Amino acid sequence: MSASGESGAHAGAPGSESPSVPIHLRPARAADIPTLVPLLLRLKRLNEEFDPLLKVREDAAEQAKEILEADLADPKSLVLAAEGVGPDKDKVVGIVRAVVRERPFYTPAHEGHILDIYLLPLYRRRGVGEYLLREASSALKAKGAEIVTAEFPAQNEIASRFYAKRGFRPITSIHARTL
Amino acid sequence: MAESSAAPTPEGRSGRRGRSVRDASERGEDQTDALGRRSVELSEFYQGKIETVPKVPVRSLEDFSLWYTPGVAAVSRTIQADADRSFDLTGRWNTIAIVTDGSRVLGLGDIGPQAAMPVMEGKALLFKCLGGVDAIPIPIQVGSPDQFIATVEAMAPAFGGINLEDIASPKCFGILEELTQRLPIPVWHDDQLGTAAATVAGLLNALELTHRSMRGIRTVLLGAGAANLVTARLLLALGHDPHRLSLVDQRGILTAERNDVDELMLRNPWKYRLALQTNGGGRSGDLADAVREADVLLAASTPKPDTVRPEHIRAMAPGPIVFALANPVPEIWPDVARSAGAAIVATGRSDFPNQVNNSLVFPAVFRGVLDARARSIPDEVVLVAARELARGAARKGLTPHHLLPTMEEPEVFPEMAAAVADATVRLGIARERLSHEEFLDLAVRRMGRPARLARALARAHLTSPMPPARSKGRSPR
Repeated sequence: MSASGESGAHAGAPGSESPSVPIHLRPARAADIPTLVPLLLRLKRLNEEFDPLLKVREDAAEQAKEILEADLADPKSLVLAAEGVGPDKDKVVGIVRAVVRERPFYTPAHEGHILDIYLLPLYRRRGVGEYLLREASSALKAKGAEIVTAEFPAQNEIASRFYAKRGFRPITSIHARTL
Repeated sequence: MAESSAAPTPEGRSGRRGRSVRDASERGEDQTDALGRRSVELSEFYQGKIETVPKVPVRSLEDFSLWYTPGVAAVSRTIQADADRSFDLTGRWNTIAIVTDGSRVLGLGDIGPQAAMPVMEGKALLFKCLGGVDAIPIPIQVGSPDQFIATVEAMAPAFGGINLEDIASPKCFGILEELTQRLPIPVWHDDQLGTAAATVAGLLNALELTHRSMRGIRTVLLGAGAANLVTARLLLALGHDPHRLSLVDQRGILTAERNDVDELMLRNPWKYRLALQTNGGGRSGDLADAVREADVLLAASTPKPDTVRPEHIRAMAPGPIVFALANPVPEIWPDVARSAGAAIVATGRSDFPNQVNNSLVFPAVFRGVLDARARSIPDEVVLVAARELARGAARKGLTPHHLLPTMEEPEVFPEMAAAVADATVRLGIARERLSHEEFLDLAVRRMGRPARLARALARAHLTSPMPPARSKGRSPR
């Protein structure tokens, strides 16, 4: 994740962001998929910078399309499209992808898990990250989530600072090596 | 320091193109080779370009009890009580370190610290001869930017300023920013600030000559390395409309939409910031798309002819300003640019008019900040130096062939130094708050001293005259 992280590093005072936020979030529709796929790919390519094990597959675009189609059909999934405002209204400039899932062994039992957040560079900063996170959290809560979690490459310090600033702490880690 | 060492090539200035241009380039290369051979020969003869010389009388060994222990202990205690006294009681006020990791030396690339030493010695010589500054060449072997920063921080107590030299981009930006923040003395990176300041000075005069204003122009910067990123920042600080500024690199026009922008966010935040800020007109594509109707082209890219082509110049607004600063081979030869309609052309070479060269900037900047014992060199000070350099050329009369002073107009530089010192006083970062006249007087005396010193040493046979050339082939000197 990068978009919100970058904006987070430069976000203004909490609560001051809404009037100047240059985007508007709404649930994604099937018609958005062709514009959401490249945004998702940009995010995955950014992740690629952090670790060779995050190298993007050749067929990532087809995968993204199928996943987004499945998400839109799944009531446990959340896909939000960020639109520009003013002259950029109707232009999709960002995506939030998340899922509500059960935690079978732990309590609270329902987790809203943010998988992907991406915003085109021009629409970052100005408290946009704050806004995305807030909107995503309340949409996940409405779907039954009791906690919100987020995943991103371990080396992405911008993202980890962004979430730390907003009260997130690491609870599990995924470690990898090649076989 | 400019990489150009090519001697005059008359063909380069002639109206004949094609063949003559190729001749100019080939003769330039021949000359560079000949100068190189001679330089090796002289290095073997002199074995180094600078040495330390006592500046106090030593009449007998007893005097060492004053210059050294036991007398010197009292001087140390005085400084221990007030660290800033080190500027009064030692040579710190006039001594700087020239620090490099050898990661981007001239056009040679990453050649390492030992191989960078001759260049740093040469720079020290320039600092002394042009600015009256005692500069110590210190190439360092380091493994990371953090280690570079820690090393320079550790040596800072000995120096009144730090000149960073020949460090690869983009790490040079982070190193300069961090050291500027940490150290109580001025830190300068010539490849960023010196070149940018000289470019801005030339541009200010070119705008004057062509009756343009900074606020109205459309500008294209070709190359997004150390110099141009800073030039862009300075132009924005001078009121250039960010929407009328485009940076172009190997991938084309730098835009916020480009696929590599996220990577830039991580690897080169300075370029990333400009990607978001500039080019609001929403142009994309390559240089040909960028230059349409542009008033100014500032090329500081890789030295290769035909990087900029006549059709690029023809696509610009009428009477365009073209700076082709790659060394030793400019992006477009001046006569070609002029034939295609350029009203004003500048290069990085001394054998064409309008040489944009950081030697016009760093000696005076350091003279100024050292005389004021300044704590840093913010952009405001860099802009004062650029404006004063522009004014220096204007005093002699601006023409399309005289945009900038040459090194043969030395009267400009003490004025520039005094203006820099004044600026640090105004900004509250000077330890020594003197009047303009006092700073000017200091600069004149301190910048004039090395020439007198060199003459006296030569008269006393303490420096050797240059030995005759023994290498085969033409010798340029």
